[in-house]
Amino acid sequence: MTVTEPARATGVEPVGSGPGGQIALVDLLDRLLGTGVVLAGDVVISLAGVDLVQVRLHALITSVRSEMGAGMRVGDDCDL
Amino acid sequence: MSGGLYLFAVSRGLPEGALSAVTGFDGEHLRLVRSGDLQAVVCAVDLAEFGEAALPRNLEDLRWVEHVARTHDEVVRAVARHAEAAPMRLVTIYADEDGVRRQLDRVHDDLVAALDRVTGRSEWGVKVYARPGEPPAAPAPREASGAAYLQRKREAAQARRTADEQVEHVARALHEALSGATVAARVLAPQDPRLSGRHERMIHNGAYLVPEERADEFQATATLLGSSRPDLIVELQGPWPPYSFAVLETG
Repeated sequence: MTVTEPARATGVEPVGSGPGGQIALVDLLDRLLGTGVVLAGDVVISLAGVDLVQVRLHALITSVRSEMGAGMRVGDDCDL
Repeated sequence: MSGGLYLFAVSRGLPEGALSAVTGFDGEHLRLVRSGDLQAVVCAVDLAEFGEAALPRNLEDLRWVEHVARTHDEVVRAVARHAEAAPMRLVTIYADEDGVRRQLDRVHDDLVAALDRVTGRSEWGVKVYARPGEPPAAPAPREASGAAYLQRKREAAQARRTADEQVEHVARALHEALSGATVAARVLAPQDPRLSGRHERMIHNGAYLVPEERADEFQATATLLGSSRPDLIVELQGPWPPYSFAVLETG
C-alpha cells in the first residue's frame, strides 16, 4: 500500500483545510478518534475505558467556546 | 519522570531505516517493537504528559490534542508510505516494549486480518454540503383571506419537509454511487459546525476504502456527482491511511 500526501481538490471543490494547506483538524479527528485499531493499553492507560468521543466533543467544544470568548472567529456566527 | 511508549501503528514489511527521517513526540526517535512478522511503531513519551493522571486534562486542551493528532498522522503516513499499516487510535500508551509485544502477540491474527483487508487499498473521504439556498424570490402575494394565509403556511411547511426528505434521499444516493468502486464504506457522523467552521449543512460524511487500481474511477465518480448537482458542495479528500478500515474484528 502506498499513501501519498493527501491530494487537494480533484476537480470537485477545494478541500476545507487550515492555514498552510494543512488538513483540517476536524477531519483528522474524525479518523484518529472515531476509528483506527483500538488496542487495550498495558498497565498504563489506553483510554479503552473512556468514551473517547465524549472526551473529544467535551474537549473541543470547551476549547472552541473559550476561544470564542477570547474573541477569535470560529465561523459559526454566520447567519445564512 | 517515568516513561511510556506511544504506539502509532502496527505494520508488516517495514524496511529497516524507512522511518529514519521522521521523529515522534519531542524529537524522540521512532522505534520498532517486533512480534513475529509484525512491527509496532512506537516512540518514548513522558508519562507526566501521557500518563493516566495527565491525559484527562490534556485532552481538554485543543492545542495539545492538535499537536498529538498531527504528529500521529505524520508518523502513520510515513509508515504507510513504506509498508502495510494499521493505524492505532490516538493515544495508545504502554509501559514498555514487553507490554507492546504481549498485546501484539495476543491479537496477532486479528492484526494480520486487518492488514490483509487494507493492503493495496486507500481510504478516501467525501463530505457533501447543501449549498445555502437562495431566499424565496417571489414576494408573498397579498392574502385575500385568513384561509389563504393558512394554506400558504401549510404549503411552505410541506415544502420544507419535502426538501429535508430530498436531502436524505440525495445523501443515500450519493453514498451508493460512491460505494460502487469501493470494497468497504462507512458513514461518519456529520461534523459539528463549531469544529469545522462551516455554516453549510453537512448532509454526508463518508469514508471509502478504495483499491488503488480503482482510485481514478472513484475520484471521477465524486467529481461527476459534484458537477451534476450545483446545489451541493462535494469535497473529496485523500488518500488517507486506512484509519476507518483497519479495525479488529474481535478484540
